[in-house]
Amino acid sequence: MTGPLQLDAETLNACVSCGLCLPHCPTYRVTGREIASPRGRIAAMRAVETNEAPIDDAFRAAMEECVSCRGCEPACPSGVQFGKLMETTRAALPSPRSRVRRGAEWFGYRVVLPRHWLLITCTWLAWLAQRLHLVPARVGLPRLSARSLARGLELPTGGTPDAWLFTGCVMDAWLRDTHRSAARVMGATGARLAQPTNGGACCGALHLHAGREAEARALAERVMQSMPGVAPVVVDSAGCGATMKEYGKLLGSADAHAFSERVRDFSEWLAHQAAPRLRPTGIQVVIQDPCHLRHVQKAHGAVREVLAPAYELLETADDGLCCGAGGAYVVTQPELSRRILDRKVEALRAAGGGADPIVVSANPGCMVQLRGAGIDARHPADLIAEALDE
Amino acid sequence: MCFPRSSDEVAAAVGVARRHGRAFVARGSGTGLAGGATPLDDPVVIVTTQMNRVLEIDPQARVAWVEPGVLNLDLSRAVGHLGLHYAPDPSSQQACTIGGNVGTNAGGPHCLADGVTSAHVLAVDVVLADGTATRLGGLEPDSPGYDLRGCFVGSEGTMGIATRIAVRLTPDPPCVATLLCAFDSVEAAATTVSGIIAAGVLPAALEMMDAPITRAVEDFVGAGYPRDAQAVLLAEVDGLEGGVAEQVDAIAEVARANGATLVRVAADDAERALLWKGRKSAFGAIARIAPDYYLHDAVVPRTKLVEVLRRVYEIADAHEVIVMNVFHAGDGNLHPLLVFDQREPGVWDRVHAAGTEILEACLDAGGVLTGEHGVGIEKRDLMPRMFSPDDLDAQARLRDAFDPDGVANPQKVLPRGSRCGELQRVPEGTWI
Amino acid sequence: MTAPGPVVAPVGARTHWEIGGPPTEGAVEVRAPVGVITYEPADMTITVGAGTSFDTLDGVLAEHGQECALDPRSRAATVGGILACGLSGLRRLRHGPVRDHVLEVRFETGDGRLVKGGGQTVKNVTGYDLPRLFVGSLGTIGVLQQATLRCRPRFPRSRWFAGSATDSFRASARLWDGAREAVLFEGVDADVESQGRGLAPLDTPPALPDGPHRGRISVAPGRVGECTAALAGRVRWCAELGVGTVHVAADEADALVHARSVSHAYGGWMLREAGGPSDDDGFGCALPSAALMRRVKDAFDPGWKLNPARLPFARIG
Repeated sequence: MTGPLQLDAETLNACVSCGLCLPHCPTYRVTGREIASPRGRIAAMRAVETNEAPIDDAFRAAMEECVSCRGCEPACPSGVQFGKLMETTRAALPSPRSRVRRGAEWFGYRVVLPRHWLLITCTWLAWLAQRLHLVPARVGLPRLSARSLARGLELPTGGTPDAWLFTGCVMDAWLRDTHRSAARVMGATGARLAQPTNGGACCGALHLHAGREAEARALAERVMQSMPGVAPVVVDSAGCGATMKEYGKLLGSADAHAFSERVRDFSEWLAHQAAPRLRPTGIQVVIQDPCHLRHVQKAHGAVREVLAPAYELLETADDGLCCGAGGAYVVTQPELSRRILDRKVEALRAAGGGADPIVVSANPGCMVQLRGAGIDARHPADLIAEALDE
Repeated sequence: MCFPRSSDEVAAAVGVARRHGRAFVARGSGTGLAGGATPLDDPVVIVTTQMNRVLEIDPQARVAWVEPGVLNLDLSRAVGHLGLHYAPDPSSQQACTIGGNVGTNAGGPHCLADGVTSAHVLAVDVVLADGTATRLGGLEPDSPGYDLRGCFVGSEGTMGIATRIAVRLTPDPPCVATLLCAFDSVEAAATTVSGIIAAGVLPAALEMMDAPITRAVEDFVGAGYPRDAQAVLLAEVDGLEGGVAEQVDAIAEVARANGATLVRVAADDAERALLWKGRKSAFGAIARIAPDYYLHDAVVPRTKLVEVLRRVYEIADAHEVIVMNVFHAGDGNLHPLLVFDQREPGVWDRVHAAGTEILEACLDAGGVLTGEHGVGIEKRDLMPRMFSPDDLDAQARLRDAFDPDGVANPQKVLPRGSRCGELQRVPEGTWI
Repeated sequence: MTAPGPVVAPVGARTHWEIGGPPTEGAVEVRAPVGVITYEPADMTITVGAGTSFDTLDGVLAEHGQECALDPRSRAATVGGILACGLSGLRRLRHGPVRDHVLEVRFETGDGRLVKGGGQTVKNVTGYDLPRLFVGSLGTIGVLQQATLRCRPRFPRSRWFAGSATDSFRASARLWDGAREAVLFEGVDADVESQGRGLAPLDTPPALPDGPHRGRISVAPGRVGECTAALAGRVRWCAELGVGTVHVAADEADALVHARSVSHAYGGWMLREAGGPSDDDGFGCALPSAALMRRVKDAFDPGWKLNPARLPFARIG
């Protein structure tokens, strides 16, 4: 028996409404509203599925307020697959009525993200706007570097490497220097690297979170084709890595499952190599676990493992609650995103002993979000590259 | 529904409810199990989740003032660096609010030695049913006059709404030991519990889980609970080194004398934390076994545990429902879980019949209807089985003293007909 | 306001008889049943008639290595009297106030009904918490018939030491009279010894101040220092550190009045236990939530037959 949302009845029934997810939900934490919690959202989904409630604006708003951080999943003793429920629900939502919004979504998801050259062109325009002081700081656009944009990543494309370095879309456009750090560190282990062939740019994570499942599937197929063979696929963006590890579930094919098995977060991969020599820097670094690294990939331990020889690591006391970036969330829900961020910044400062600390985060979205709040956020690859004892 | 941020706003919300002839119900995180916060007949729901600040911490006096929406575990975390914690620790402590804890007089595993919420609440600033604000209790050890604070704690929102709460903070023990004991039968485990208490040991916590629960929990946390045991006991002792060592030995001895197949002391804090995470997730983990469950809460004298548990399994068998047990054994606080699939025709009737019979068996053994979940709606109509009409009338009068107009969470706790006047209006023989 | 018919004054051992002032003249004195009703040592609970003395209770429990930390000033005090007065003992710091030891009460209300509140198990939240309400009610809402109390194992070792023990874990009591501090440790031999290290053992427990005029001040524990400093030699005093109770005694009634005004100045109050000015209500300031307390009194004693003259409750009428 499925209703208008096409949700799997067993998955939906698994929730016993115990409420243990509430404190792990960033939107519930900042609003205190039941409808902004996983339990409330599941209750709303049930009401729609049993035809007790319509799919109206309130329902859409409730579903769109979710950051998709999936912090509720490890907290759930019943093992409710909330991420799956949310993705299916969003896919079933009718397209929004606002034509401006529909147009903007079409341009972003359909036109720019799948065409890497266009994204790079847009980034050049953004760079220009930034130089002309047309971009307010609170937008959180990182300081773009013309030098970095102009120079490609010096890695072979395709072939049969020891490991692939997945370059992605936004990350490659905005944070290409981090890819350079990752390549340097990976090279220091003696591995031969390659970047994906053409078309392997966008992994489809943002599409999937927005309920654009068909587009996500098409992008996933392209990404898989861009990195053939059996070599590990190393991803230095936690959000992309999480999605790519779930290609098997998304596509259902044996190839997709096999591909997902090859995906590794950068730190996760590095932790299993002969460690490159690092010098202890004595620098204190506060760890911010990207949600999709901690709750989905469960690879946050590796970040600590690879950084520990070179840095003094400090932990936050907020159970790894989300920073509010959430891919496109920062654009679609700016108000909630900012409130979640404020809470995060407070926790990071507390962990750093009150002063503005250096924060390490393995996800470009989180880095951009935190930098927008004036936090010196760095990627593990950048920190390790700095500490390389070459 | 409203989300006040201050005592004044709570009072205003109560005022609005009264002006419109509506009742009002306070709500925290909605983790209660007896329906105490369930809105009936369209009341104004006053949600306290945005009153979530820890206002003051006095480490010398070991007191904290908190707003009602502060989460139980957040409070312990906020004072953890001072070597203090908030002692009552319901299984839902990561999600439930202090205000909700005050409403239900919540318990938890560690209430065995430390006492339930009432023993940890020094003062409550409340908005009464008429909208006036007052302080019940105080930071001084005794308050003049009647202990209205004591009345208020556990009144399930029927006497007003707490807006600021002063709680006692407990020093962290210098030494803690957690024991895991496994048994071949539930009876052996239950006998061990009685034996431990009879031996003059008062553990900080003493919890029991039967086989199906243990396996479900192990699937969730992987804490090393033995999957082949018929029952496990989780015992914790704390204090100073000498006393802890002596109590660990005493518990191990009683367990072995009752045929324990495993007695293990947790090696470090990580293992302890994992064992407790398993215990505290037990109810949620049930969904891995069956889609629906009905969780009961009753207390029996500890010497009756073996006999009552046997009855519980017999009753479940007779009604063809599956029962599992995970509970605060040291207090005699049973939590029989009736597990079922509601798609099975007629199963609800059997579950209800079995549940009622189990509660009656507990009462017959000298027990009480609820140990920590509260009465709410769930057990309201069972109250006459534990209390006489005079008892209920006295309780109704006390409630009326706080809320003469019956606007604070009406229809909860006391069944209809609790007041003697009402009794006379009811045709003879209808409810007694 | 009292309804026609006799006024009733419950009587125990009269060890705290002066609290709340004299009862109504000509009141009918009623006494509660005496003796243990049920005691199951393995449950660590005991049910006794309210007229049972603490001495009897303690003796019965001691036979099974248990105790109930009511700790009244006089062992002749009855269980009913201790609960009605609500005075906690010296070991409150560790064992909690008197009210936390009561599981169930059965009392007769002013309109002659026998009412049960609470339950006989160690944990119970069924219905409203009448046991807490009864403690400290000075016989104004009911005549206690019987009570079920929570017991605990007696400690193998219990010893007083002289000296400061601010950071000691779970001290049972800490007393301070302005000159010396004494601390009580209870537990197994090794722990009591290790906690007492560096402190001088005391052969006899410190005595509380005595005199014809006595009272106990209740202030927030953090204000004991300034409060006792302000008592300034007019009274003899001994403070329970960490609790906030200050026992005071004087030879002159005026000194007790002074102590009481000091307690008010530091946000507390004082209960007169003995002596003092005879027209005093034993309390000296307006009862908080007096209207609510009056409704509570009316709920259990609509005709005001139970101890209507006992203060401070007499003032809320």
